[in-house]
Amino acid sequence: MGSNQLLPDKDYLVRMENISKVFGTITALRDVNFGVERAEVRALLGDNGAGKSTLIKILMGVYQPTTGQIYFENKLVNITSPAQARAIGIEAVYQDLALVNLMSISRNFFLGREMTKNLGPITYLDIRKMNEVCKQSLHDIGIEIRSPNERVGSLSGGERQSIAIGRGVYFGAKLLILDEPTSALSVAETRKVLTYIENARERGLGVIFITHNVHHVYMVADSYTIIRHGMNVGTYYKGELSEDDIADLITGDRES
Amino acid sequence: MTIKAISIKEQTSWQYQVRHLVSHSPVIGPLAVFIIIFVLLSLFVDKFFTFRSVTGIINAATLSGVLTVGVTLLMIGGEFDLSVGSMLAVGGYIFGGLAMAGHPWLGAILALLGTGILGAINGLILVKTKIPSFIVTLGTRYFYRGMLWVISSGQMLQTVEKIPAYNLLNGRLDILNDILPGANFRTALIWLLLLVIGFQFVLTRTVFGNHVFAVGGNSGAAIGQGVNVNRVRVTLFVITGVLAGFAGILLFSQFTTVRVASGDGMELSAIASAVVGGTLITGGAGSVWGALVGVLTISMLRTGVVLMQIPFIPADNFEAIVGVTIILAVILNNWLRSRT
Repeated sequence: MGSNQLLPDKDYLVRMENISKVFGTITALRDVNFGVERAEVRALLGDNGAGKSTLIKILMGVYQPTTGQIYFENKLVNITSPAQARAIGIEAVYQDLALVNLMSISRNFFLGREMTKNLGPITYLDIRKMNEVCKQSLHDIGIEIRSPNERVGSLSGGERQSIAIGRGVYFGAKLLILDEPTSALSVAETRKVLTYIENARERGLGVIFITHNVHHVYMVADSYTIIRHGMNVGTYYKGELSEDDIADLITGDRES
Repeated sequence: MTIKAISIKEQTSWQYQVRHLVSHSPVIGPLAVFIIIFVLLSLFVDKFFTFRSVTGIINAATLSGVLTVGVTLLMIGGEFDLSVGSMLAVGGYIFGGLAMAGHPWLGAILALLGTGILGAINGLILVKTKIPSFIVTLGTRYFYRGMLWVISSGQMLQTVEKIPAYNLLNGRLDILNDILPGANFRTALIWLLLLVIGFQFVLTRTVFGNHVFAVGGNSGAAIGQGVNVNRVRVTLFVITGVLAGFAGILLFSQFTTVRVASGDGMELSAIASAVVGGTLITGGAGSVWGALVGVLTISMLRTGVVLMQIPFIPADNFEAIVGVTIILAVILNNWLRSRT
C-alpha cells in the first residue's frame, strides 16, 4: 500500500516510469512512477508547486522529461507536442484554456477539427451538421444544451467544463486530464461535473483529476497519487486512507 | 385558454429570438448607429438627402473601406496593423510607376505581391519576436514610408494620360449613374462589395475564419485544439497588406497621382471604422459587414459636418465629431453584447 512503484498485476493505459525533470538547478520531479488504468479515475494531488503540473505537462508533450519513459497502451511513446498527445488519445481540459468564450458551443466543439463540405473548389464549414452532431453527442453523454449556437461565454463554469469533457469523449480520447475542474464551481455544479466524469469512466476512459484539494476529488476517485517536493509520496487505492490522511500527506504533516 | 397559452409562448420565443439576434449579430448595433445618424442628418441638414451627397459618402468610403476589411479581419484575430497607410502608398507607387510605363496589369500584380510581402514581414516579426503587433507595425509604418521616400526621392507620381485600366479599376460607374440622376458612383464600389461579400464568407463559413475568431478570442484555447495560431496570424497580415496595396491601386486609378504621404492617417481611421462597425478591440468578435457600416458611418459624418457649415469650424475639421461617435458607438455595442 502506498508506494512510488507501479503494480505488476495492473494493465495500465499509460505508464510514466522513473520520470525526472530538471530546470537549470531546480529538480522539479525526481524519479516519479505514475500509471493510470482504463476506466479509472485517478486523483493527482499536491500543493501548489509540488510538481503535479510539471508531470502532466510532460505527459502532454509540453516538456520533455530529463530521464524516464512513457508507455501508452504498452507502447513506448515520445510525446513532443500537445497535438501529438491528442493524436494518440490524451485530451487535457484546462479551466481557462479549454474554450473560446466568444464563440458558439458547436464552433468550440469542432475547433481544429471542423466538418466541411465542398462546392467545386470552395471548401466551407458544414455548420448545420456540426450543430446536429454537437448537440446529439453531448446529449449522448448526458449533457443537455439549449442551442449549439449559444456562446460559451454565457454558460456557467460547470457547463463549460462539461462541454470540454464531452468534446474529449466524442473525439475518442482514451485518457482525459482535468485540471482543477471543480475548484471554481458551486456545489450543485460540482455534482454535475462529477457525474460527467463518472460517465467518462463508464465508457472506459482513464481520467486524471488534478487538484490541490482532496475534498474535491475524494468521492469520485478510485485511487490517489500524492506529489510533494517533486516526489511521488505514494499511490493509494480507495478505502486505504481517509480524506484527512490524504490531506496530511499533501502538506507533509504525515509521512507515508 | 389553449390559444392564449400558445400565443404567450410564441411571444416569449419571439422576444428570445430578437434578443438572441441583437446580442449575437455583430452588425445590428453598428447598423442602428448608422440609421440613427442617417435619419438625423437627413432631417436636419439641407442637401444631405440627395444622390449627390449619398454617392459622395459612398465614394469617399471605398478606399478606406478596402483598407478596413483587412484591418477588421486582423483585429478579430487579435492584432493591429498601423502600417496599412504606408503600404497603401507603396502599392500606389508600384502600380502607378509601371502603369505610366505602359504595364498597368503587371503593375497591379507586383503592387499586390509587394504589399503582401510587406504584410508577411509584419506577421513574421510578430510571431518570431513576440513583440505586440501594435509596436511592430508602428515601427514598420515609419520604415516602409521612409524607404518609399528614399526610393522615390520624395517625388510624387502624376500623369494626365488616361488608360482603360484606370477606368476598369476605379472609373465612373456610368451604368448606375445614368439611371440615378446626380449620382456619381465609381467602379471601386463594386470591388469593395465583392471584397466584403468574399471576406464575410471566409470569416464566418470557412475553417480559416473559425480559426481567426479562436486566435483572437483565446489563443491558448486555439493552441490547445491544435490550431496553428502563428500561421493564422501571418496569413492575416498578408491579407491586410494585399488589401492595402489594392487600395493604393484604386487611389492611383482614381486620381492618377500618388505622393509619399498618401494614405497617412488612414491606419487610425481604419481602426476607428472597424470599432464603430462592432469589432472588439481585444479581438475575437466582429464582422466584415459591420466594418462596411463603420466606414460608411464615418464617411457620412464627414459629409454631414461639411454640409452643416457650422460657423467658425473649418469644414474639414470633423475629427471631434468622429471621436465622440467612436466612443458612443463602442458604448452601445458593448451594451448590446452584454444583453444575452
